[in-house]
Amino acid sequence: MSADNTPAPAVPAKARVRRLPPEFNILVVLIGMALMFEALGWIFEGQSFLFNILRLRIMILQVSVIGIIAIGVTQVIITSGIDLSSGSIVGATAMVAASLAQSSDYTHAIYPHLTNLPAFVPIIAGIIVGGLGGMINGGLIAWTGIPPFIATLGTYVSIRGFAKWYTRGNPVSFLTPQFNYIGSGIVPVFIFLICAAIFHVVLGYTRYGKFTYAIGANRQAARVSGIDIKRHLLLVYTIAGLLSGLAGIVTAARAQSGQSGMGVGYELQAIAAAVIGGTSLTGGAGRIWGTVFGTLILGVVTSGFTFLNINDYLQEMVLGGIIVGAVIVDQFRQARRAKA
Amino acid sequence: MMKRTLLALAAVTMLSQGAFAAKIGVTMDKFDDNFLTVLRNGMTDYAKKHKIDLQVLDAKDDLGTQISQVQNFIANKVDAIIVNAVDTSATPKMTALAVAAHIPLVYVNRKPADKVLPAGVAYVGSDEKQSGTMETQAMCKLMGGKGNIVVIEGELSNEAAVTRTKDIHNVLATKACSGMHILREQSANWDRTKANDLMTNWISAGVKPDAVISNNDEMAIGAIQALTTAGMTKVKVAGIDGTQDGLAQMKAGRLQVSVFQNAAAQGAGAITTALKLIAKKKVPSMVWVPFELITPANMAKYMAKN
Repeated sequence: MSADNTPAPAVPAKARVRRLPPEFNILVVLIGMALMFEALGWIFEGQSFLFNILRLRIMILQVSVIGIIAIGVTQVIITSGIDLSSGSIVGATAMVAASLAQSSDYTHAIYPHLTNLPAFVPIIAGIIVGGLGGMINGGLIAWTGIPPFIATLGTYVSIRGFAKWYTRGNPVSFLTPQFNYIGSGIVPVFIFLICAAIFHVVLGYTRYGKFTYAIGANRQAARVSGIDIKRHLLLVYTIAGLLSGLAGIVTAARAQSGQSGMGVGYELQAIAAAVIGGTSLTGGAGRIWGTVFGTLILGVVTSGFTFLNINDYLQEMVLGGIIVGAVIVDQFRQARRAKA
Repeated sequence: MMKRTLLALAAVTMLSQGAFAAKIGVTMDKFDDNFLTVLRNGMTDYAKKHKIDLQVLDAKDDLGTQISQVQNFIANKVDAIIVNAVDTSATPKMTALAVAAHIPLVYVNRKPADKVLPAGVAYVGSDEKQSGTMETQAMCKLMGGKGNIVVIEGELSNEAAVTRTKDIHNVLATKACSGMHILREQSANWDRTKANDLMTNWISAGVKPDAVISNNDEMAIGAIQALTTAGMTKVKVAGIDGTQDGLAQMKAGRLQVSVFQNAAAQGAGAITTALKLIAKKKVPSMVWVPFELITPANMAKYMAKN
């Protein structure tokens, strides 16, 4: 984490001004919140919040899917784009993957001749669906020039439509144990952390990463320095789609069922995780570890509130406050950067 | 074209209790809800069998969309409108629109908030007071009237969730079940995975219930998954809906109680009621489709339904 992840040649000034990496602040917030719940736990519940293996597990497990999506969304936001379609892609992939993962025990399978397939079939099918969704996003944005907000708003609606159409809204259940394994125990946590590690390296140490930051920081400069912006945007959105597809597979495996309503609102939670983690909505700045911490904050808050038995209404209200607070902090950071 | 219409008319006349024409517009709260899909299938199956021209639209859980759809149906001069309300508090507006256009209107599954339904308007559904009460009473009996429970609620803005939860409290207030205590009560938005996470969070906080009472089967299954992971397989679980997935859990011995809401019968009932209204027959303003209790003893009967 000591490595400077924004060494893009087109934007040297920005990287130098900042002294502490922003994800350090996020880590402090994360630890602070955990300690706050720890203290409140001893006061009100008479037990520890953190020293509880089961709770530590669920804290990460319940946000793993959001985290996987957020890794892709972070890259999109770094290019100063946005992806509203992630939740719909989760729904579509969950449906397609589940339909190819049904066990022959169930007599009303969607494809009666395609039951008991090895798990790699639904996994590959799901990832292809996710990748296609992302490719449509990237293609629209790169070649028609419409704003990412509009392009992905369109696919947000259409892809959800596809998810519902696929089985006319019927759920797809009774999946093979092999497929369900993907969502069992802490497998989703591993998938999340492995993806995070991969894209930490990819963003920080490869040409792909440098181009991504360069496009977001200053598109004009990036173009002049010879980056094929269209091709690169297509790539970034496709990767985001692939990750959402993976998230859809994990969601279906966790629930042991594919349902067309899966993933509703996930896109906003993923954007929240990225923004809380210090990714700037104006582009050019943000790191995967920040997003991981942002995701964990969402998990800690959810577990902490349930632990303290705080009622639902209050939970939602406070969660909204945290998201807005993160953006306010981001604005201050930018204002300071602009002055320097 | 004319000929086909006439043929259809003739067919409908013969088949649908003397109704003469049937072009019915349906607006559903949403298409991606499992239960509502069964209800929708109940309508389309019935319509197909009886050659009724049915147009079903998805309001996508949005009230504004639903009102526009009703207005479009009126503009298209359909013979009757069936509404599965997005938000029950907004039904008086739709009632007024249909009455002004002299088009029969049937609400299905979600009880309209209108104080009195005017002539030509009816409601087909099940009484939510029954479902939560049946569920909790059955669980109370299984527990011998005492023990600790947790309650998993549906979406807090939804009337069924609120009523079913109220039912639980009411049953616990009766003398026979006064030994039951609620340890925790929280919403999991009707969602299986969310219920799994919620239950795991509770278990990690040291909550050890003897039973889980959930507002639907999906969340009951989520709770079962969490309990299995924690090795707490002795905890009794109750749900509502009698879905295929729920019944599979009951077969496996993990779900003790469910309550069947006959979605297909509600869907078919909505159409027969609409046909009666079109034919200007007398219809009670509330057509009730009763809930049915499902236990391992009678579950076989429900495996083929829903």
